[in-house]
This record gives sequence, structure tokens and C-alpha cells, in this order.
Amino acid sequence: MCPVRLWNGKRAWLVTRHEDIRAVLSDDARFSGAMANPDFPAITPARVMVDRNERAFVGMDNPAHDAYRRLFTREFSVRRMQALAPAIAAIAEGLLDDLEQSGPPADLVPALAVKFPSLVMSALFGSPYEDHEFIIRCAVARHGLTQSAADAGTKARELAAYVRRLIDAKEADPGDDMVSRIIEEHVKPGRLSRDDFAEIGAMILRAGHDTTTNMIGMGTLLLLQNGEMRRRLAADPALIEGAVDELLRYVSPVQFSPRRVALEDVEIGGVTIPKGEGLFMLLASANRDQAMFARPDTLDAGRDASRHLAFGYGIHQCLGQMLARVELRIVFETILRRLPGLRLAVPLEEIRFKHDMQIYGVHNLPVAW
Amino acid sequence: MIRIYIDEQKCIGAGHCVRSAPDVFDQREDDGIVVLLTGEAPDEQAPRLKKAVELCPAQAIRIETTE
Ligand code: HEM
Ligand code: SF4
Repeated sequence: MCPVRLWNGKRAWLVTRHEDIRAVLSDDARFSGAMANPDFPAITPARVMVDRNERAFVGMDNPAHDAYRRLFTREFSVRRMQALAPAIAAIAEGLLDDLEQSGPPADLVPALAVKFPSLVMSALFGSPYEDHEFIIRCAVARHGLTQSAADAGTKARELAAYVRRLIDAKEADPGDDMVSRIIEEHVKPGRLSRDDFAEIGAMILRAGHDTTTNMIGMGTLLLLQNGEMRRRLAADPALIEGAVDELLRYVSPVQFSPRRVALEDVEIGGVTIPKGEGLFMLLASANRDQAMFARPDTLDAGRDASRHLAFGYGIHQCLGQMLARVELRIVFETILRRLPGLRLAVPLEEIRFKHDMQIYGVHNLPVAW
Repeated sequence: MIRIYIDEQKCIGAGHCVRSAPDVFDQREDDGIVVLLTGEAPDEQAPRLKKAVELCPAQAIRIETTE
């Protein structure tokens, strides 16, 4: 537990241990995740604007959170995701075909890390693929650390308005996609308003595009830097599923989040957090906590990393995590099988890491094979 | 034997239980909420069930060892 002073002069707490983060995130009676609360801690002024514009269940406490989330859980169930795997694998094969045809060198960030989750989300959600650049611009305006507050606010409204128009279009001309299914199951019977669905849809689009992209970039780089792990996974692809959790543990792409505000004085990790003060969960720190993971700084394909907190914990734990796991397993399996000679085409110093973002990853990944 | 209890009210449909022990847990087709395929499992299943309890982010699963 580490007290810090925020840019606005308020005091907040960094929660760094695995045990303490689990304790905070599973105690939603005393720690609120309501982003509308004026005491909710924010890392930048732009983030305050994002929080004020958050109208989906990621920014709500119970009972409202569960009531909304349950309308969407079946779309992300384990069996549903397993059933999607062949279609997702076909997308990965197609992108590898394109890479092989255009030949080395290539920047794997635009060519694969961005395109793959965008194509998957487009097929699953029903947003036309050609809109993915707009969606990513909106996600980056939320996840950046350097954007203006005005831009963060505008892009949040623009994405919700975009999904609102998509709902109208799908209502007139339904397809085999999430938007059409939710309209039929929940909007038409009156369980979910079109405006609420637009806000939730915007949240799902942002989350589905930007996070997986960063894990593909960082994960591939780590495989290139760790020959031993790479050889093991190439020789025994059954290990890749567990390795995905280990990569998630090691990278922990989401930073400065989840956040909570204490609703009363609460003792946690030996200190008393006064009512009204904010807390930032440092997931990356929890995932390197020696009390939970032996040799935490070692990337180890053989370890059981399933207790990592890269997807958060408690009622807000990532809704899309089973999709992300299937996507990552398939993309790493396809890369290892089809590009055995993959290597960095530039020295490591030329890789630009996302120190300017709340979701860690790489801006570029020039490779040859 | 191990007796298994679930709390549907708490479940958020994250699916760790189905991943850990697919022959014990499932998610309802209509809303993704946990269902038990069996209320009891033999003692050998303890490690997988303990893992499901620990991974469940909503503390919706409880197990008890019975004679
Ligand atoms: C590697 C990929 C991903 C990572 C590391 C990740 C991480 C996270 C984290 C840490 C949270 C918790 C936020 C909080 O408590 O404030 C979260 C929530 C969420 N994620 Fe993900 N995510 C990933 C992929 C996805 C995908 C692919 C989707 C959807 C298609 C998605 C949708 C969501 C949604 C809707 C929430 C809010 C859940 C709630 O509040 O109940 N995520 N994610
Ligand atoms: S792990 Fe817990 S929250 Fe997730 S589906 Fe199973 S019971 Fe529900």
C-alpha cells in the first residue's frame, strides 16, 4: 500500500500486492467502482472526462452492474468462444497468407496485431471492418496518457453515437452478429434501451480492439526474445494455452486500473484508507508478487499462471477474457507454426514501447522471417 | 465425497469454473450464469474444484468435503 499525491492534489493509494488487490476488488460493499463518484481517482484530467462520459456497466456498482452485464455474458461464455475458434483460426491463417505473399520485412503491429482482433470483433460484434481505424482512434483517446481532455470526451461520445447508428442499421437489416442478437433478445422485449446498448457496445468495441492488439505485439516480442520458451511451444503446441496466461501475467498490459474509492474507513494491508480516498490496483505489480508466484521475473511456459490478475478480479473482471484467451492461443500457435524463422528486423532499441498509454504494448514491431 | 454449492446471484459468468472442471460446471445457454452438472464429485477431483473456487472472481462457488 503506497500513498501518492495526484495531479489534482488529492491523495490516493497504490495497491501493489496480489492479496490486497483481491481483497479490495472482492469487497464491493466498501470499495466502489462508480466512475460518476466525484472522489473516483483519475490519472490525468483527460481520464476525468472519460470517467464522466462512462455510462456502461464498467463504471457502475451493483445491483445495476450485474443486471446489465448478465444481458451480455452468454455472448462470451466458454463454450461459445470454443465454438468460435475455427472461424478465428481461419482469420489468423488468412492474415499469415497475406504476410507471406507481401514477403519480409513487415511491421507486425499493423499487419497482424491490429488487423486480427479487428477482424474478429467485426465478425463477432457486427461492426463493418472498414470502421476499425475509427474505433481504434476512439479507444486510444481513452487509453492514452497524453491526449487532451476535450479529445477524450469527444471521442467517447462519437463512439457511442456510432454504435447507436449501427443498432438502427442492424434493426432494419439483421445479420448473424452480437448487435443483431442483443436487439432481438433484449432490446425488442424492452429489457435494454437502445441508448444503453450504444454505451455498452462502445465499451465492448474499445476493449475488444485495443487490449488484444497490445498482447499480440508484446507477446510476440517476448517469444522472439526467449528462444527457449519459443522452441518449447513450437514443439508442443498444447503448452500454448497455459503460456498465454503466463504471458498475460508477465506483461499485464492494463495499467493504473482497476480503480476504486473507499466508501468508509477501511483497513487493508495494514493501513487505514480513509473514506473518500481513491485506490489504483497495480495489476502488473500483483502479477510479479513473490508471495504468489515463485521467481516472478522469469517467464516460464511451464508454470501455472492462472491466478494472475491481468483481467482484474471481482465483479468487473474482464467480460471478454475467454475471447482474448482463444484469440491469443490461436495467433501465437499460427505464428509459431507458419513463421519458424521469425526474427526482429531492427535492434531492440528501435522498438517504441507504449510509455504514453494506459495499456502497455509496442507501437511497432518490424520483423523478417 | 466433495459437495459443491454455487450462488447464482453472485456469478458474473466469467467461466473459470467451466474451464477448470467442464464435467462439473456449465454456463446456462440463455444468460451465461453457472449451473452445476453434478452436486457431488469424488475426492480425486479436489485439486480442480479448489482451483475453480479460487479462480472464481465473484466467490460464487463453495465446496465441502463430506464422509
Ligand atoms: C488481452 C486482452 C484483455 C485484457 C488484458 C483485458 C483486461 C481487462 C481488465 C483489467 C478489466 C477490468 C477493468 C476494471 O475493473 O476496471 C477488463 C474489463 C472488461 N473487458 Fe477486458 N481485457 C482484454 C480483452 C477484452 C476483450 C477482447 C473484450 C471484449 C470483446 C473485453 C471487454 C471487457 C469489458 C466489457 C470489461 C468490463 C467488465 C465489467 O465491468 O463488468 N476485454 N478487461
Ligand atoms: S467462475 Fe464464478 S463467476 Fe465465473 S461462471 Fe463460474 S461461478 Fe460464475
